[in-house]
Amino acid sequence: MFKQAIILTLSALVLAGCGSSPTRYVDPAADDGPVSMSMDYRDFEKAATEAVEDMLASGAVSNPNGGRYIMVVSRISNNTMQRIDTDQLTKKIRVALLRSGKVVTTTAVGLNGAEDEMSMAARELRNSDEFDQSGVQKKGTLQAPDLSLSGKILQRNQTVGDEQQVEYYIQLSMTDLASGLAFWEGETPIIKRGSNDSVSW
Amino acid sequence: MNTLVKASLFALVAVLAGCATPPQTNGVVEREELKVDPEVLYSMTVTELFEDRIRQPDGTSILQVQFAVEALNNADLAWKISWFDAQGMTVKGVGEAYRKASVLSGQTRYFKATAPHPRAISYQLHLREPQ
Repeated sequence: MFKQAIILTLSALVLAGCGSSPTRYVDPAADDGPVSMSMDYRDFEKAATEAVEDMLASGAVSNPNGGRYIMVVSRISNNTMQRIDTDQLTKKIRVALLRSGKVVTTTAVGLNGAEDEMSMAARELRNSDEFDQSGVQKKGTLQAPDLSLSGKILQRNQTVGDEQQVEYYIQLSMTDLASGLAFWEGETPIIKRGSNDSVSW
Repeated sequence: MNTLVKASLFALVAVLAGCATPPQTNGVVEREELKVDPEVLYSMTVTELFEDRIRQPDGTSILQVQFAVEALNNADLAWKISWFDAQGMTVKGVGEAYRKASVLSGQTRYFKATAPHPRAISYQLHLREPQ
């Protein structure tokens, strides 16, 4: 019995010692951690930073009539081998443009329906006897977009010697909906080289 | 005796109050525009640091900063610019991460950053060696 207790205790100690590294928080503002071959939050931040800074510097998102432009997020295609929620990229751009005071995004329009369906749902309260009509949204108050953000994320895999190279290209366009012209365009390449054993999906 | 103790305590409190450093409460803090870590100076030098305000179609202007580094040998660099408004408060951009770059021996590279909002009027550039 005593022998079994010693064996159990030793086993527990050995297992505890062999445990993987402890879970910890990562501060995105000071992250020098290892890089993976797939796209991570640092890549989206880099692409969004470059895009927003270039948009602001070009003046393309500055309304010459004063006030803010209204932007709608169109299609951002994911042509990579990874499952990417492209909102990771577009949300950063939207937030930064909103903070810049130059662009506001509409959530009432979208290619696959409104991002926030409540804008229309709230209007269905019109003529309902159950609701105080003075608080119900009036006709003709929704704002149509001036600009549309669209883009594509591409991936190319190459073999370089005994390593693999994964190239990602984040391509974005800002289209003026009045003229259909792309007022701003940008591409951020993200190139990673690493072991052939690493996977990029 | 009691009066002596009271007087001593009063004097001590007065001295401590006089020594306390009041926190900075306005935007007159003197910030270095360029902060370079000593490890970076072994491998490269900052040869240029410019700032400009870009006129915008809506009548406002946006601060832009450009700097150049010349490498003495192949090296990696991490850099970040913090932006401040007239009150000395930080102006938030997309993220707070350092941007990484590689510079080849003898190469001069130019980097540019644009402020996230027209109210940004000053900045601090920090250069460090990535781990």
